[in-house]
Amino acid sequence: MSMSLSAPTTATNTVTLHARSVRKTFVSGRIESTVLHDLTLDVQAGALTLISGPSGCGKSTLLAILSGLQSADSGQVHALGHDLSGLSARALESFRLQHTGFVFQGFNLFPALTALEQVELPLSYMGLAKDVVRKRAVDSLEEVGLGPRMRLLPSELSGGEKQRVAIARALAKEPELLFADEPTSALDAANGQIVIDILHRIARTHGTTVLCVSHDPRLVHHADRVLAMEDGRILSDHVPPSPLATATEPR
Amino acid sequence: MVALARKTLIYEWRRFLPAILAVGFASLLQLLQAALVMGIFGSASVYITRSSADLWAGYPGTQSVNLGRPISEDVAMRLRMDPDVVKVEPFRWVDADWRGPSDTGGVSVFVSGIDARPDGMMFSRVLPPALRARLSEPGAVIVDEADLDSLGVSIGGTAAINGQRVKVVGVSKGLRALGGVNIVASLETARVLDVSPDDAGMMTYFIAKVRPGVKPRIVAKRLNGSNAFGPYTVWTANAFARESSLYWMFDTGAGAGVLFLAGIVFLVGSVITSQTLIAAVIGSIREYATLNALGVGRGSLRKVVMEQAFWVGALGLVCSIVIGLILLVIAKNRSVPMELHPITAITCLALSMALAIVSGLAAVRTLRRADPASLLR
Repeated sequence: MSMSLSAPTTATNTVTLHARSVRKTFVSGRIESTVLHDLTLDVQAGALTLISGPSGCGKSTLLAILSGLQSADSGQVHALGHDLSGLSARALESFRLQHTGFVFQGFNLFPALTALEQVELPLSYMGLAKDVVRKRAVDSLEEVGLGPRMRLLPSELSGGEKQRVAIARALAKEPELLFADEPTSALDAANGQIVIDILHRIARTHGTTVLCVSHDPRLVHHADRVLAMEDGRILSDHVPPSPLATATEPR
Repeated sequence: MVALARKTLIYEWRRFLPAILAVGFASLLQLLQAALVMGIFGSASVYITRSSADLWAGYPGTQSVNLGRPISEDVAMRLRMDPDVVKVEPFRWVDADWRGPSDTGGVSVFVSGIDARPDGMMFSRVLPPALRARLSEPGAVIVDEADLDSLGVSIGGTAAINGQRVKVVGVSKGLRALGGVNIVASLETARVLDVSPDDAGMMTYFIAKVRPGVKPRIVAKRLNGSNAFGPYTVWTANAFARESSLYWMFDTGAGAGVLFLAGIVFLVGSVITSQTLIAAVIGSIREYATLNALGVGRGSLRKVVMEQAFWVGALGLVCSIVIGLILLVIAKNRSVPMELHPITAITCLALSMALAIVSGLAAVRTLRRADPASLLR
């Protein structure tokens, strides 16, 4: 990829995502529940940031707001210098098309398309030339180790392979921001390990801001930074003790 | 561009099959219904459509060709005086009662007395000259092949019309009538068969040919200008044929029935098609939501659904055209009155495609549920 960084450096200390006093409240009937309590947060490029916490703690809502899928009730979100709270739905779509990638817990692949076509599909809406689309898709699939299996349909791939196709689909857009929601929850240990390694590598080699939400404790050691959330607040913000200590610089 | 709509349609063909069949059946039903109606009510005007005359002159205000009344011979004079009329021929209509040799009871028949000369205009499209020549024999008649059974005769057989002996000298195709049986005879034979005393010697219509290159409509308008030669109305052949068919269609209430049935077919077809398309959209709702999360706009997603609707429509139409053609050929071989004009066929097919598109629009609304934020829960 053109954006590859030569050295295995971590966070470039460039803040790409910036949330200030973000509040979100859901109303269901008469009950009003505040999911995010005036939350303030910075996320840096080139690192894998993990938001962990029990289910219902508001971590997915935070991800949705930081990625421009949902709007906050109050507070501000700046992504790559854009004020997301001021953008229309159409402008948000266009922002996401240009700058973001998503990986979800479910792989959400179209059953009728081969791995290569799954990756090409969103690219073809970016206004890229046909050969550029093809090259980016092939490169991304090779990067996640699916080069030899790119002509297969989802039904012919294992769960881990499907999630790697989903990662390649997000990666091929060459996004500055990559959001992952419980990317390993549906996978066994070995495949979960492969997936988190790929996400980590993307952050380092492409300088991408990777923001991952998960309650999976196995991921903690693979993150550059871990934010623990509970009841809509961030309880702790730390650099995890990692078995890959050599690759993780202290902040 | 990845052909998502088409690939999904092929991969999940079982899911889309009900919609394709619904469009196909709706289209086939509309086509066959139209063909039958046009065929049946078209036979009300076989006298006009199977003849080569450009103009028809008859009793004023006649609503359908079978309702003609005797008119004065002077009208023929008036037609001949027009500089653009090159040929005038009489046509005599006799309502009569048929008694066959076998036990068929009485059959109501319409006797067409025509000019039996080889260059005659009446029925020139269904009677080859050799067959036509046989009519000059006194008492000779020609019937439609398909009517032989109901008349209880065979070729060469004899019967009685209004008590007068006639002989079937041949059969033709495309002469079937509405509400009775057509019998073709010469003018002389028809005069003998006409037992009603008050119109003895009176013709029912005078038909005419205009000079090549002249519009019959203009000549008809000019001829309708005066009543100096007795009361009459002149129609162009096309106008009179249409008037006759429409008279039957609405007189029998069939026209309203046809429209009602077409409405029902459209409604049922679009319910099935839209439900199928909606189910297909819901089946892929998470994938659509993912595409939207990745920034693919809602307009582009709508286009995918509409493209699917289009292909469902197109495949349905192809099915209906193939089956429809086969049925039309079978119907033709069995003398079932079916007629499909290109414009009618295109209208039916366009209606069915509209059905698919309307269903697609209904399914597009379902895309609102493709909320990427819902993938995060």
